[in-house]
Amino acid sequence: MLRDDFVIQTNVRRILIRSNIDYSEITFGTVRGVIYIQGVFKVSRLDGSAKDAEEIIAKTLRSLELKIKSIPGVIDVKFQFLNWKKEKGQWTPTKPME
Amino acid sequence: MDADKANGIRQLKGKQIKLYKQISIEIEREIQIHPNYADLHNQFGLLLMVEGDPEGAENYFLEALSLNPKFREVHLNLGFLYIEMRRWKEAENIFLSEIRKYPKDGSLHHALGVLYLQTGREKEVLVHIRKAIQCHPYYRDYYQKKGVWHRGKVHLDQKRERIFKKIHLNYHYAQFHNFIGLYLAKKGKSTQAVRELQMATRLKPDEFLFHLNLGTVYYHQGAYRKAIQEYKKALEIDPLYGMGYANLGYTYGLMNRTREALRYMEKAVHLNPRYADLHYNLALLYSDRKRYEKAVSELKKALRINSNYLFARINLGVLYEEQKKWSEARREYQKVLRITPDDENVRRRLERIS
Repeated sequence: MLRDDFVIQTNVRRILIRSNIDYSEITFGTVRGVIYIQGVFKVSRLDGSAKDAEEIIAKTLRSLELKIKSIPGVIDVKFQFLNWKKEKGQWTPTKPME
Repeated sequence: MDADKANGIRQLKGKQIKLYKQISIEIEREIQIHPNYADLHNQFGLLLMVEGDPEGAENYFLEALSLNPKFREVHLNLGFLYIEMRRWKEAENIFLSEIRKYPKDGSLHHALGVLYLQTGREKEVLVHIRKAIQCHPYYRDYYQKKGVWHRGKVHLDQKRERIFKKIHLNYHYAQFHNFIGLYLAKKGKSTQAVRELQMATRLKPDEFLFHLNLGTVYYHQGAYRKAIQEYKKALEIDPLYGMGYANLGYTYGLMNRTREALRYMEKAVHLNPRYADLHYNLALLYSDRKRYEKAVSELKKALRINSNYLFARINLGVLYEEQKKWSEARREYQKVLRITPDDENVRRRLERIS
């Protein structure tokens, strides 16, 4: 279904704002239904060990991906984070978390 | 904004005392961690004031001012606190100094009116009530409702004076509820946050920030019509706040009402021409309406502000491609791939037109 890029963009914006994601270092754009999200991915209010934190972030990323893909009109999502990448369906940090 | 409502708040405070106490403990803890945050000292001062400890509140406001002498909100909090403490001269100094900086702020004239009434300077009371009315129509409506203003003249009998003398308290309560509302919103408790912010806007309906904050909480809740209502109220008070129009644009976007979104985003860009993000969003709106020339122009503006704005460049390439301007499209895609060589979507697009 073809949908206005601006409408998709405002939906992505709302998802980010409503989540526990620290979006201060994230930028995003919409190109004919394809979403681009870039920057440094961080979650606000993280407690516990580095291992726990990694799990929480990976879970948050999976949830974000699902939410964005469920926006009507979204064809694909391209995540281009500096600190996290998706490989073989799994989210992993590109460098160990401090 | 009257004594009855202020009493109502005190009754409500009784019901919510546990919540306010909890917030008080949390703010105190935060002050220990960040002793140099003026904002926290101001918030704690408000809490103490509402709890009925004016001396404690004064100490925290003064501490906030020593950390940030230009913190306007704290100057006003202190001014109203001094009225409450009947320290007229100190209150007068604060409001006169503020009025020199913001001569068109109705609430300052209103405050001085209240202060001069308490000190029996009737002539000055009339001057400042008139000035408050000139500053914002809200004051005329309010004074009319209270019977203080009738047929272009000020009327103050004993009963009206009594009401008028109490209303300075509303400023503090409004600030207090605004702060509690924001605090709860940050914790994800949006229903309670709405209640607090509604209270703030009722007590001080001419405060731009309260409407903006309430609009934002409604936006987060998904109550878009209410969000729009509050953003519009805020913009009536400050029509030059560009980001308010952007917020309206985003909210209309969520409601799929892109015609209105476009109108407000144009206004936002006009008021904030240095924000690349606003140009980008406006470009999307033009592009969706197939107004390619305008969309391209906005994307170029976004890229002039931020040459690394990757999505703006991809969108620009796509727009050129759709207009069959192949060489321009290729040029933009190639620039994108120099920055992100792994972008398969852009690579495919480039291959298709090469």
